[in-house]
Amino acid sequence: MRQQVVESLWQLSRGQTAVVKGFTQSLTEAYRVRLVELGFRPGAAIACTMAPKLGAPKLYRVDNAVYSLEQKIAECIQTESVTV
Amino acid sequence: MKDVLVIGCPNAGKTLLFNRLTGLKQKVANFPGVTVSTHAGKARFSSDLQMIDFPGVYSLHAISGEEKVAVDAFQSALRQPDQVQAVVCVIDSSSIAKGLFLALQVRKLCIQAKVPMVVVSNMIDVLDKHGLSIDHQGLTSALGCPVISTSARTGSGIERLEAALREPSLSFDRSDPSVIAVDENWDRNEAERLAHAFGPTGDLLLKSHSRLDDFFLHSITGGVAFFVIMYSLFQAIFTWAAPMMDAVEGGVSWAAELVVPMISNPVAADFVRDALFGGLGAFLVFVPQIFVLTFVVGLLEDSGYLARAAVICHRPLNAMGLTGKSFVPMLSGIACAIPAIYAARTIESTRKRWFTYMAIPLMPCSARLPVYALLIAAFIPPTHTAGGLIGLQGLAMFGIYLFGIVTALLVTATLSSVSKKSSSDSPFVLEMPPYRIPSFASILRGAVERAGYFVRRAGPVIFWITMLIWILGYFPNYGADLSQSYLAYLGRAIEPIFAPMGLDWQYGVAILASFVAREVFVGTLGTLYGIQDATEEVVSLATRVQESGLPLASGVALLVFFAIAAQCVSTLATLYRESGSLRLPLQLFAGYGVLAYGMALAAYWILI
Repeated sequence: MRQQVVESLWQLSRGQTAVVKGFTQSLTEAYRVRLVELGFRPGAAIACTMAPKLGAPKLYRVDNAVYSLEQKIAECIQTESVTV
Repeated sequence: MKDVLVIGCPNAGKTLLFNRLTGLKQKVANFPGVTVSTHAGKARFSSDLQMIDFPGVYSLHAISGEEKVAVDAFQSALRQPDQVQAVVCVIDSSSIAKGLFLALQVRKLCIQAKVPMVVVSNMIDVLDKHGLSIDHQGLTSALGCPVISTSARTGSGIERLEAALREPSLSFDRSDPSVIAVDENWDRNEAERLAHAFGPTGDLLLKSHSRLDDFFLHSITGGVAFFVIMYSLFQAIFTWAAPMMDAVEGGVSWAAELVVPMISNPVAADFVRDALFGGLGAFLVFVPQIFVLTFVVGLLEDSGYLARAAVICHRPLNAMGLTGKSFVPMLSGIACAIPAIYAARTIESTRKRWFTYMAIPLMPCSARLPVYALLIAAFIPPTHTAGGLIGLQGLAMFGIYLFGIVTALLVTATLSSVSKKSSSDSPFVLEMPPYRIPSFASILRGAVERAGYFVRRAGPVIFWITMLIWILGYFPNYGADLSQSYLAYLGRAIEPIFAPMGLDWQYGVAILASFVAREVFVGTLGTLYGIQDATEEVVSLATRVQESGLPLASGVALLVFFAIAAQCVSTLATLYRESGSLRLPLQLFAGYGVLAYGMALAAYWILI
């Protein structure tokens, strides 16, 4: 396994796992709170389980739950490292 | 009577638990956000208690209309603590960190209101299957309130929960730091700590689910599967329902032949044959199709597929001014627009919710089904092609349903392109429920109830209108000549409106009557043909339409008109209630009315 730097959760490919670093300024406070409530909190490891083509929302696994996030919001979640 | 308030995260099995505790049959489905309003029911285990089920919320900080309804109602109920026996906070055993975060927030309110609380870790059967468990004793002492494992699906743990709710105790430690903590980070960190200390540790996601996602969300196979599933839904409406429809039709004819000769008064006999068996009977024939439609949609909901369909549809719907979350309300609109309008509460963005409201009345609802089915049966032969796989009538039904959906999307796309985009357009975030084998018994029960509800709701309206139509059509010459009846005078007055589509005054009267409710069209036409034919037999309405010589172009014009016009008073009233705007239903009624008329006219002139 090797570490690779990616800037946002949206850049994850299927099968990759990243650690959440924070959120961009463009994300509204209500949605930042909601993402954290769902488990997308700084320090959490998030795995991309499905990355459909044509820009469709990707699937991310947080603990034992799977969420679908579209590009607009997944780009607002900053990541610090990715396991390939 | 005291209340037990049931709150929890979406898709934690809260409503199924509520049904277990009350014996009620509220709708449940494997999709987050199915409960969109509060429901109350008397507790099965105590005559002094009433259970109140709130819509699912991730936290007490609401960001959608649906969450706001739940949080406001819950907080309002807690303002009368003497009225509350206990609060039940339902969490999903397989994802307890998320549930505990809500439980800690709820606990704070319960401590302040001095109301006992019980945490229910539901879906324990999922943990059992994986050989995992929760340390309930540890969690009970950490939270200061009972934590009970249940499986609302199997019934396990329900008796223990009922016992705890009969005599709940207030056992919170008020010196607990969470009582005075105002920082939400404290709740989050504490939820994480408790989940790690007492929760299950293991992989609960099945590889088979991942493989199913690979198939259903794949760019090619997912799209093909979506199309095949939706197409099969419309084929099923005809093929599966056909034997039941034949049975109802046969039953109505048999009952008419049995009852009518027993009535000695000729006017009463004509009324029973033409208005009751001809009008109401013509409508009842289509009820099996509503049953099949609800059953198949229920299967899709319970399997977990609908959330995947929402993901697949997100991008195309987004391009049309909607969101993937609009998919479920729009699909619900195929059964009935009213629950669909309520289901749109799950859409956080006000702008996209309003566009969804505008799309829903164009969804081919079950009230349109009898009209579509009648006209298709009258014009399309019941033949099959491709080795019996494709029925022409099913294909026509698919086509007219597709027409309504495409019209809805074009309307929202046009409005979206001319309206200003809002910064509050919330992004798409949706929890994926696990795949599961649908619960056939509960879906079957739901479909029977839905068909029964449809008959109960539409039946009385159809009865009164068919009676009125019959009286106006029968007198003053006692059914001897329909063209000289009171109804004919009225019909001829409005005939110029529908004549450009090749429709005579009888169709004009039936369309006018259908503005009360669409399905009235079939009953009205059945009554009119009953009076006109003056035969002793109850003949299929489709046969009578065929024999009337109605041209195909007029039939298509009628289909187009019914696909677009907003002819449902209940839908318009619900839109007014949900949107808080009188302008929206009035504009939709007028706008869709003009569009329906114009498109129907265009269809007629193209085909004639």
